Amino acid sequence: MAKKALSVKRDVPFPLYDVDLLSASDEDLKRVSSEMSLGLSLDEMKVITDYFRKEGRNPTDVELESLGQAWSEHCCYKSSKNILKEFVFSVKHPDVLSRGDAGVMSFDDDHGYALRIESHNHPSAIEPYGGAATGIGGIIRDIVCMGAQPVGLGDPLCFGPLDRKGELPPGTKHPKYLLSGAVSGIRDYGNRIGVPTITGGFFFDERYTTNCLVNVSALGIVRKDELTNNFAGGPGETMILIGGRTGRDGIHGVTFASADLTSTSDEDSRGAVQLGDPITKEPIIHACLEVNHLGLITGMKDLGGGGLSCVVGEMALSAGECGADVDLDKVPLKEPGLAPWEIWVSESQERMMVTCKPENTEKILEVFSLWDVLATPVAVTTDVPRTRVYWKGTKILDMDTEFLTGGPAYNRPYVNPEVSCKDKETFPKIPSAGEVIPEMLSDLNIASKEWAIRQFDFEVRGATALGPMVGKLNAAGPGDASIVMPVPGSFRGLAAVMGCNPWFTEADPYNGTMSSVEEALRGLVAVGARPDAITNCLNFGNPEKPDRLGVFREAVRGLGDICKALEIPIPSGNVSLYNEGSVGEGVLPTPMIMATGIIEDTRKAVSADFKEPGNRIYLVGKTKDEMGASLLFRKYGGSGGAVPASDPMVFKRISEKLLTAMGKKLIRSCHDCSDGGLAVAVAEMCLSGRVGARIDVPKGAQENVWLYSESNTRWIAEVSKSAAAEFERIMGSDAEVIGETGGDALTVAGSSIPVSSLYESWSRPLWDIMGGTA
Amino acid sequence: MKAEDVKVCVIRIEGTNCEDEMYQAFRMVGASPELVHLKQLAGKAPDHAKRNLEDYDILAFPGGFSAGDYVRAGAIFAARIKSDIGPQLRKFVESEKPVLGVCNGFQTLVELGLLPAFEGVMSETPTAALSTNDSGRFECRPTYLRNDNRGNCIFTSEIKKGKISMFPLAHAEGKLLSADPRFLEKLEENDQVVFRYVGPGGAKAVYPWNPNGSPSDIAGICNPAGNVLGMMPHPERVMTRYTHQDWTSCKGPEEGDGMAVFRSVMKKLTK
Amino acid sequence: MAIIEIRIELKKGVADPEGSNTKKTLESLGFEGVGAVKCVKVFEVELDMGVDEAVKAGEEMCRVLLANPVIQSYTVTAR
Repeated sequence: MAKKALSVKRDVPFPLYDVDLLSASDEDLKRVSSEMSLGLSLDEMKVITDYFRKEGRNPTDVELESLGQAWSEHCCYKSSKNILKEFVFSVKHPDVLSRGDAGVMSFDDDHGYALRIESHNHPSAIEPYGGAATGIGGIIRDIVCMGAQPVGLGDPLCFGPLDRKGELPPGTKHPKYLLSGAVSGIRDYGNRIGVPTITGGFFFDERYTTNCLVNVSALGIVRKDELTNNFAGGPGETMILIGGRTGRDGIHGVTFASADLTSTSDEDSRGAVQLGDPITKEPIIHACLEVNHLGLITGMKDLGGGGLSCVVGEMALSAGECGADVDLDKVPLKEPGLAPWEIWVSESQERMMVTCKPENTEKILEVFSLWDVLATPVAVTTDVPRTRVYWKGTKILDMDTEFLTGGPAYNRPYVNPEVSCKDKETFPKIPSAGEVIPEMLSDLNIASKEWAIRQFDFEVRGATALGPMVGKLNAAGPGDASIVMPVPGSFRGLAAVMGCNPWFTEADPYNGTMSSVEEALRGLVAVGARPDAITNCLNFGNPEKPDRLGVFREAVRGLGDICKALEIPIPSGNVSLYNEGSVGEGVLPTPMIMATGIIEDTRKAVSADFKEPGNRIYLVGKTKDEMGASLLFRKYGGSGGAVPASDPMVFKRISEKLLTAMGKKLIRSCHDCSDGGLAVAVAEMCLSGRVGARIDVPKGAQENVWLYSESNTRWIAEVSKSAAAEFERIMGSDAEVIGETGGDALTVAGSSIPVSSLYESWSRPLWDIMGGTA
Repeated sequence: MKAEDVKVCVIRIEGTNCEDEMYQAFRMVGASPELVHLKQLAGKAPDHAKRNLEDYDILAFPGGFSAGDYVRAGAIFAARIKSDIGPQLRKFVESEKPVLGVCNGFQTLVELGLLPAFEGVMSETPTAALSTNDSGRFECRPTYLRNDNRGNCIFTSEIKKGKISMFPLAHAEGKLLSADPRFLEKLEENDQVVFRYVGPGGAKAVYPWNPNGSPSDIAGICNPAGNVLGMMPHPERVMTRYTHQDWTSCKGPEEGDGMAVFRSVMKKLTK
Repeated sequence: MAIIEIRIELKKGVADPEGSNTKKTLESLGFEGVGAVKCVKVFEVELDMGVDEAVKAGEEMCRVLLANPVIQSYTVTAR
């Protein structure tokens, strides 16, 4: 690659350039950043120039490339970390075992579980199959490098409307193509590595058309005494590069992720999309877990954004003021002719780094050799806090490790958003419940995701107690949280579920984000699991736009407030900014939450399908006039209205009571009320259990608010008559009878809808669009 | 033989990914399973890791995507086994030691020529194929299976003939085909049909109850001697009732339907 | 050195869901006059030997690995 502005080729037999920053003007600095695709601002270039002035020399191209990676939004969270510090990082909890590449929480006396979610949005918008697949690959590596065996995957996806007609903005792929590619990518990668895909979600909105969101999450289980560090044990250790060869794929992936997508991104950025190789990955998982189990390594970290350039410094620095000497010649390459800077920043997939005491190196190589996985010592840690890289005997990078990996942090300007309120509400004209309920069930944001779910193996590992669908075999309905039993021989369950309401968050970022968290936690309680932790992927717009940053700030404040109040830790998280798309409107602000919970005895888990006729149906929690951004308003043209707020103390009180009732096996089925409100929740319970219900709207209630409001802290519970008295005693005024199960139809508000047609309305839409049949 | 003396070789290579649950399933019936990489059996491992197939009493092929299922599901795994340990494997099967293949394991057994094996224990080239599901998609589903074996198969001796079990499955290539016009008759004559897909209540299975379009609804077959069983659905995933997909809505024993397969083979070996 | 092309296709009468699915999708995208669509797999193999020998080797490769004779047929051609 020919270097341009201010570059002077060094007299060595390979491409190496000295870049003359010391005498550069501001214009020059901007040109260097742009021509080398560094993605660095003028201010950042000035800081870098000052650093090299102190070093008394100009930087090499390798050094600048390295800084471009390390200082990208994606790697150093420069726009978000001060906000996260202010609202979120203060959430402390004794059960957090680690806040490494993945968070780790205590699971039982001997085990911890790892959790993490992250985005793979920009690569997926260009090439959805590879983008989604490598997203899974990356999140799995984050779990493995904690020493944890992956036990579950989640895949929340946001796309434009699948039935979108009309011209697409230039450079944009049709949502149907993107969804189909992303689902195939998740399927071919997740299924091949043998990790069950147990949770996820689809979100469709025009605002995702030019910038889809592909988030991926994973869970793992680790023995507490095998929990790994993501850094070296000290100086004098060997760094062994594991896995795939290094090539040009994925060059500049992080600088790509940290900029807006444009209409030419499609052609420009194919190089930034990596291809996944699950069959290299699968043995890497085995071998990495084995060397960890044998106690041979001191640390393990995956090569994600920035490749070697990020992982080497970070592993050395966190070992306590250590540095590293890297012999770049040792790195196994896919093809000859790569420039040293390309090797240093490449994001080729399926690579990990482990550190070890030198005497263990041979034993480690033996394990990897059995699995036919490449393992190559490439660096040693030193007691000098500098990262030094050599190529063919020439030192091509020599920088202070902390400067290299630190990166700036900004307090960018923001304006607080206006929020939707009751004063400005227009309630739409709506048809009868007999029409509204089936239409809502058919809305793609509610309708069955079976087309995708059944392409994912959600039962591999043989530990899935509750999957993403519940109820009648081969005619199942929607569940709440999924449960896996990750420790063989134990019935202790790990529950996981996604929660997100981007429409609420758009209308009211603070309350919308709290609602997203609460929705996820409600899903856990609905199956009988006690909420334990959350992890989040915050997908927002360009933080350099004050209105976007204001939305982000309010969302993070909501996230912190609810977690602090409920003492729910956030041991890991991810921020994806610059989700603007090519039209400039930006995606819906999307705080994707994965919540995890623990159920002591999975045999007491509760599913959402109505079980039999003749049982009482209770509404747990109170319905409020909170119609803002509800599905009803979106579908029938309402506007304004209050977005549901969350009262954490009320949530705590009611969920404790519900869990008590479940522990006593008093509840036959339970489902969380969220999108579409009570009406949709009850309809879903009918269609998954193939049991009808009669629902009586309470006297004095505003019928349409009562049926369709999406107020938080509400569940529907089915209780047998013999258990009703004890259930009512536990719940007190927090539950009221609203009807009874039975018959072949859902009878409510003067309408009667056959259960079979509820099932049809809910189950068909996605199949009809994507092809095939249930 | 005591149960704990029954040594089970759960064989794996890159991409086999159901070995942990296969291992656990044998543990649950008291056997002593071991996860063994093919290279360990082929002498391509450090001395302390080398293993001999003949030291084991049962050989289990777990599900997954061995070698990525590239070329064809199970084909590469089978080719490597043939070249690395072909004679040992033939001897193992000839001595009527039990061999179980589930999902990708079944595909591998077919590619190895160990099933249907109408002539000899192991044919030179495959005589059957597990072809792409009629839906063209990967299918992760519950299935009802009827035990149609009349007593030949070592893995179903503890399951009443005609009993219907619920096993889940997850695959994209499960349609059992053969070029032999008398394929089904021969399977029947030799008592090689083990499991058939059925609908609820034992009705004839139509999609999705027969999820791949397998002719005559065949889900699993054994060899003529009855010691090699291959099946697409996963008994090792339902060892307790709490992984049955509908366990919250029906009553039943704690034990899952899959347990009977493992109990059957153990009964034969431990009596 | 010879380069051979190995073409693996499904035998007549064996269902080809990938082909028929693709056909359906092409039609749904508005392509007109789409007839049968068949999914075929092609391997290109470089061999350090003469052409005739290479084609023979390719056929042997099909026999032992690349094709399952129950559902697949193969053709090997030199390039």
